Amino acid sequence: MKYFMKIFKESIIVVILSSIFGLISGILLSSNEEILYTIPILLLILPALNSLIGDISTVLVSRLTTHLYIGTILPKIQKSKRLKEDFYGLLMTLLLSLVVLILLGYSIGVISGVKLVNPLIIVLIITFTILIIFFMMFIILFIGAIFLFKRGMDPNNFLIPFLTSLADFLTPLFIILFTIIFI
Amino acid sequence: METRDTKGKIVKETFPSETVSIIGDILAGIILSVLILPFDSFLALLLMIPALLSLRGNLSGPFIARTSRDLIIGDFTKRSWIENVFATFILAIITAIFIGIFSIILNSIIFDLKVLPTVHFILIPIVTIILTLSISIPCSTGLNYIAFRKGLNPNNVVNPVMTAIDDFFTVFCFFLTLIMLGVS
Repeated sequence: MKYFMKIFKESIIVVILSSIFGLISGILLSSNEEILYTIPILLLILPALNSLIGDISTVLVSRLTTHLYIGTILPKIQKSKRLKEDFYGLLMTLLLSLVVLILLGYSIGVISGVKLVNPLIIVLIITFTILIIFFMMFIILFIGAIFLFKRGMDPNNFLIPFLTSLADFLTPLFIILFTIIFI
Repeated sequence: METRDTKGKIVKETFPSETVSIIGDILAGIILSVLILPFDSFLALLLMIPALLSLRGNLSGPFIARTSRDLIIGDFTKRSWIENVFATFILAIITAIFIGIFSIILNSIIFDLKVLPTVHFILIPIVTIILTLSISIPCSTGLNYIAFRKGLNPNNVVNPVMTAIDDFFTVFCFFLTLIMLGVS
């Protein structure tokens, strides 16, 4: 049972912390349930939005960690060609994926009879949300990876569960905030 | 190699798997917006949905990563797999109980909704997570094994596909649990 104990000890805290973040997102959504009833397309695309920003940020962290370990990015907060290449590559992937998400989400929404309210404004809200979170994540994760790496820690172990929880919390927060402001 | 990846290569390798992931998540969204939204107790259910969805990344994701690593480094045995599965289920049940208890506390402090019996706050996460893992674990183990036997890196192939499968089945099993427990 050595392997079992190792998995259990290393995972229990992060899994519980992540659930707390999840429950905070739940409070946020439940407190604004009238928005979800009025604009049900938001509920249709919310899991995909959470997953999109989480996946792209996970790729970013694992790439940054590899670069730091092999020395292609120095552990200093400064611009570099490598960093720019990763930034633009992931930004392009994010934008392309967002187009697929919006097209697919709206097509399936129409087919399944989900009510569409202010589709253009909703698309703008989704795009703003994803871009703002991506820029925030890029800065936080870049600084965080360097900070952890300099202290001899593996950024993957801490930053990946952290960013998943942060993305799950920030995505509904910004969507609700922008919906209240613009609609 | 990652060190020399151009932005074009990053897009080429990441975009297809992201598309697969989006499709699975949109299907999860359909169940949420078409099947779960009409429930009378939707507001109370909404409290636990994000926490249940985030478990995909924190239970199933590491399970897949550990299985891939064990296969790659040659440590994969029946015993290691059983211990991995056992640890994942125990973590899942503890977390589900935790989600249930905190949902009860948060509901009584913030919303005070009476639409859902207290015991359902505990039972819904437990049954949903057990059902989801019962589908996810055999699927990811099978995919890991097939990818490895075919000479592919399971880390690159299995995770995006399983993200889609896990998100869809979490919401689907959530819906099944509501039906089984007779939630209104």
